[in-house]
Amino acid sequence: MSKLIIQTTELDFYFKNFKALDKVNLNVPEGSIYGFLGPNGAGKTTTIRILLDLFHAEAGQVKLFGQDLSQNKVALLSKVGALIENPSIYKHLTGRQNLEVVRRMIGVPKSRINEVLKIVRLMDNADKKAKNYSLGMCQRLGLASALLGDPDLLILDEPTNGLDPSGIIEMRELIISLNKDHGKTIFLSSHILTEIEKMATDVAIIDQGKIMYEGKLDGLHSNTSKFLEIELSNVEKAIEIIKSLNYTVSEHSSKSITLPILEKADTAKINKALVDNNIDVYQLKSSEETLEAIFLNLTKKLDQ
Amino acid sequence: MNIAIQLKRSLSAEVYKYKKTLTLWLLILAPAFVPVINFIILWQKGPQVIKPDMDAWATLINFSVDPANFLFPFFVMMVALLVNNIEYSSNTWKLIYAQPLSRFALYFAKMKVFISMIFISLMLFGTFTILVGLSMRYVQPGLGFEEAFSFGFEYSLMIKIFLATLGMASIQFFISQQSKNLILPLGIGIAGLISFMIVVQGWEYAPYHPYGYSILATGGIRQEGFQIWADLASVYKSLIVAVVMFTLAGVIQLKKRII
Repeated sequence: MSKLIIQTTELDFYFKNFKALDKVNLNVPEGSIYGFLGPNGAGKTTTIRILLDLFHAEAGQVKLFGQDLSQNKVALLSKVGALIENPSIYKHLTGRQNLEVVRRMIGVPKSRINEVLKIVRLMDNADKKAKNYSLGMCQRLGLASALLGDPDLLILDEPTNGLDPSGIIEMRELIISLNKDHGKTIFLSSHILTEIEKMATDVAIIDQGKIMYEGKLDGLHSNTSKFLEIELSNVEKAIEIIKSLNYTVSEHSSKSITLPILEKADTAKINKALVDNNIDVYQLKSSEETLEAIFLNLTKKLDQ
Repeated sequence: MNIAIQLKRSLSAEVYKYKKTLTLWLLILAPAFVPVINFIILWQKGPQVIKPDMDAWATLINFSVDPANFLFPFFVMMVALLVNNIEYSSNTWKLIYAQPLSRFALYFAKMKVFISMIFISLMLFGTFTILVGLSMRYVQPGLGFEEAFSFGFEYSLMIKIFLATLGMASIQFFISQQSKNLILPLGIGIAGLISFMIVVQGWEYAPYHPYGYSILATGGIRQEGFQIWADLASVYKSLIVAVVMFTLAGVIQLKKRII
């Protein structure tokens, strides 16, 4: 097994009485693009804030590059670049001046500013005031400031948030290139499944503060689910029956229901239950497995 | 990385971010406000204001210190707000606290910039006041500004006001650091100032009110034989409050959850 860049053990975190993180264990291998997936409010940003020493976990330990974060904050964070949620930008300064503020804090040569501006393709707008930046430009400026110190690890919290489709593609290409061409380990959070699917080598899925899955992206595909689409007569009644069997309905229309299932036996079990309850089943169709199905199955968020 | 480098880096970034902000103009224009008014009064109505038997320099200093005593606390409140709100309004607490610098260095840099801003503006205020007096030698000769004047007295007075202000400044800094809210620190500051003005009318414990230290420190200035460094009770009280509040703010900042 390759070296672990981030390793957390049994992280607990509370907001007053609300348990935001429950024994979170993460193992991020060197050189990976690690997708950290979860619905809104699952604890992604909280975890990231702990990784950056912005929050202090009530229990558990964070190791970065094999060393304890609380003991070596300054040395370890000098190898980390971060982009956290909404961009942190001084609106009254230009893009270049924003980078200068960060440059002064980390003490790298001035020439780095132009280098990172080129990487994020912000050269032409570098001397515009940041208050005139579009959201996409703000995100790229945030990424530029994360890259200033030439970190070995990039922690990006929802980097494609609020970007338009071309911005998303651009950001994705940038992230992949930083990983492949510059050898950076990338820890990436998102609630958008297809995003992660297109980039990540490893994933963790978090829901309500608990890690539901951690491992290779491929591993997730092989041992889990498919979608089952059922065309039937009484959708409302069918949903109740299916829920009572402890399945999650992901989509439904006036004629059909779609839900994630784990194995073939589920199809038979659901069909039998429906027929027993006098519902006419017209068609049973199992579709290609998607990450979405897996995700819903693990988090059971929708429709509950 | 040793703490001296961290402090230097934090400070350098902290100073840089005020480029082209209102804060910089405030530091220059606010201390010029009262001297400019004094200049106009003395220039236009000098002979009516300063009678031949009056000490011109002493009168000018009274004219400066009285309104400044009232206005300066508001200036301190604004600076305390601005240095902290620059982070709140840009969402940058998390940016600076995620850098490879200790929380102590980051906190200390901000505190130092805040204190320096107050100090610089007071020194500017003293300088502008002296310039008003000197300019009268040419603009309104004969008022008495030709007489020698100890600049050291004016600057010592400013330093005393500075020290006596640190107490309330530390309270304002603490509140502004803890709260994103703009109104709360101003509200507490104004309430502090007004409550001092009420209790000072006759409550025996009024001298302990932190918003009154700077006013009390210059209280005897009209009396004959006023010695700047004779009565330092208000200065000591102010310094004690400042040490306690800045330390408390620092300790909280070390443990705080940075949103």
